[in-house]
Amino acid sequence: MYNYVLRRVGFMAVTLFFVTLIAFAVTNILPGDVALLILGPNATEKSLAALQTQLGLNRPLYVQYVDWVIGLLQGHMGESLRFGEPVAGLIAERLPRSLMLAFAATIVAVVLSVPLGVYAAINQNEAPDVTASMFAFVGISMPIFLWGLVFILVFAVWLNLFPTGGYVSPSEDLVGSLTRLVLPAGAMGFALTAYIMRMTRSSMLEVLSEEYINLARAKGMSQRVIVLRHALKNAIIPVITVIAFQFSYAFGGVVVLEEVFFWPGIGRLTLTAIQSRDIPLIQGCIIVVALIYMFSNFAADMLYAYFDPRIRYGGNE
Amino acid sequence: MTVEHETRDGRFTLTQSQRERIARFVRKFRNNTKAMVGLSLVVLLVLVAIFAPLIAPYNYEETNIQVRSQAPSAAHLFGTDDLGRDIFSRVVMGSRISLYVGFGAISGAIVIGAIIGVVAGYSGGLTDEILMRVMDAAMAFPPVLLALTLLVVLGPELSNVVIALAFVYTPYIARVSRSAALAERNEAYVEAAVARGESDTRIIFSEVFPNTMAPMLVQGSLNVSFAILAEASLSFLGLGAQPPKPSWGLMINTGRGFMETAPWMLLFPALAIGIAVVGFNMLGDGLRDVLDPKVEAIE
Repeated sequence: MYNYVLRRVGFMAVTLFFVTLIAFAVTNILPGDVALLILGPNATEKSLAALQTQLGLNRPLYVQYVDWVIGLLQGHMGESLRFGEPVAGLIAERLPRSLMLAFAATIVAVVLSVPLGVYAAINQNEAPDVTASMFAFVGISMPIFLWGLVFILVFAVWLNLFPTGGYVSPSEDLVGSLTRLVLPAGAMGFALTAYIMRMTRSSMLEVLSEEYINLARAKGMSQRVIVLRHALKNAIIPVITVIAFQFSYAFGGVVVLEEVFFWPGIGRLTLTAIQSRDIPLIQGCIIVVALIYMFSNFAADMLYAYFDPRIRYGGNE
Repeated sequence: MTVEHETRDGRFTLTQSQRERIARFVRKFRNNTKAMVGLSLVVLLVLVAIFAPLIAPYNYEETNIQVRSQAPSAAHLFGTDDLGRDIFSRVVMGSRISLYVGFGAISGAIVIGAIIGVVAGYSGGLTDEILMRVMDAAMAFPPVLLALTLLVVLGPELSNVVIALAFVYTPYIARVSRSAALAERNEAYVEAAVARGESDTRIIFSEVFPNTMAPMLVQGSLNVSFAILAEASLSFLGLGAQPPKPSWGLMINTGRGFMETAPWMLLFPALAIGIAVVGFNMLGDGLRDVLDPKVEAIE
C-alpha cells in the first residue's frame, strides 16, 4: 500500500509539472500582448516598452515560466488586469462557494441514489428496478446546465418555490443561502445520480448473493435487517469510491452551472477572466480548478486502493 | 471444404472463424435492447441531419417579425423564436452541427489517441511513462474548462470547437487503446511477428492496432455523446457556434431569456440534445455489453 501511494504521489508531481506547463503555454500563446491589454490601443511605443520591462514580459519564456511557478508556490498569482486586485484573493473569496455547491450536489446525489440503488437491487428486474434505472438514465441524458434551466423553469418560474439564482452568504442569511442552493445543487445532484445508483445496485446484488446473507435469511432475520444492517454495510464500500469520483466531476461541472444560476464562484470568475482576456486571472483559475479536480480524483483513487485488497496487499499495481 | 483463405490475388475474403465471429457479434447485438435502441436513435439522427434541408419546412435563418414568439401550432410545430424563426427547422438543421462536432472531434481524438495509446502500450518503458504522464496532465483539467481555455486561444468558431474537443478527448481514447495494446503485446501472434523479424512499426500498425479496435469503438461511441454535450455547453457559454448558426446550445442560451413567455424556445432544443446523448450513450453501453463478456457477467 505504501509503495502504491508513494508511486502515485510521484506520478502526481510529474502530472502537476505538465499541468503548470499547459496552463502557462495556453495563456502565453494567446493573441494580444498583456501590456497592450493593460494600456489599451492608444498606448505609445515607449510606454508599452516600459510596462513590458516592468512586468518582465521581454524576458525569455522559460524565465517567465520559472518565475511564475515560484510565485505559485508562494501563493502569488499576480494581479488581475480587470479587477486590479491580487488573483489569489479573488480566487480565495470565490472558491469556497464553488466547493459548497459541489459538496451540496454530491450530498443530493447520494441521498437520491443510494436508497434507489438498494431498492432496485432488492427488486431486481422488476418494475421498481426498471423505473429506478430509467430515472437515473434520464438524469445523465442531458447536460448539467440544461437540468439547471429545466429546474429553474419548473421550480422557480412555474411553481415559484425557489429563487431563480444568485448567492447569499450562509453567515449573513442561512435560510436565504440554503434556498438559493437547492436548485443548483438539485440539478447537479440529479445529473450525478446515475453512476452512484448503478454502482449501489450492482454492489448490493453481489453482496445479496453471498453465503452469509443466505445464512441470515435461514436464521429468520427480517428482510429489513438483512438489507440495511448486513448487506448495505458491505455493499457501500465500492460506492464510496464512486461518490468521491463524482465529487470531482461535480466540481468540474460548476463552470457552466454557475453561469446558469448566477452563482459567483470560481466557474463564473473563470468565464469573466476568459471574456476579458485577463491572462493572470485565467492562469490562476485554471491552475486552481485543475489542482482541486486532480486532488479529488487522487483521493478517490486512494480510497479505491485502500478498499481493494489486491492493491492493499499487493504492494504494486 | 468451405473454408476460404486470403487469396493471393489481393482479394480479401474472410476465413470461417472470422465469419463466425462477425455472425456472433451481429446476433448478440440484435438481442441487446440497449444497443438496438441506441443504434436506431443514432441512425434516425444521421438521417435527419442528411435530409435536413428537405425536412425543414422553413429557412432556418428566415426571420419574420409577424410570427414572433408563437407557441407550437400546425404551421410551426415547435413554435417560433423571438425573431419569428421556425424552431422546428432550426432544431432539424442543428442536428448537422451536433453530429459534425460529435463525429469530427471524436474521429480526431481516435486517430491521435489510438496512435499514442498503441505506441505507448506496445513500447512500454520510458516512452510509455512520458506519453501517459502528458495524457494524465491533460485529464487533470475538467473537460469543459480545458476546451474553454483552448477556445480562448483558437477563437470562438465551430471548426475550433472540433479541434479543441478532439484535443480534450484524445487522452481518454489513448488510455483505452494503451491498455488494449498492453494486453495484446504478450499474445502469441505478436511474438510470432517478432520472431519473423518484422519491424516494430509494422507490428504496431498491422498486428496490434486492428485488435484494439473493439474497446476503442465503445469508448468512441460514448465520447461522441460527451462531445455533443460539450459543444452545447460551449455554445451556451458563447464560445462555440456563433449566431445565427442553429446550434442547440446557442438556441438554449437565447431561449433562456424568454423562459417565462416562450418556454418552447428552450424545451425543443433541449429535447434534441437529450435524444442525441441517449442514443450514443445506449449504443456505447450496448456495444460494451456485446463486445466484453466480463461486464455482462457483473451486471
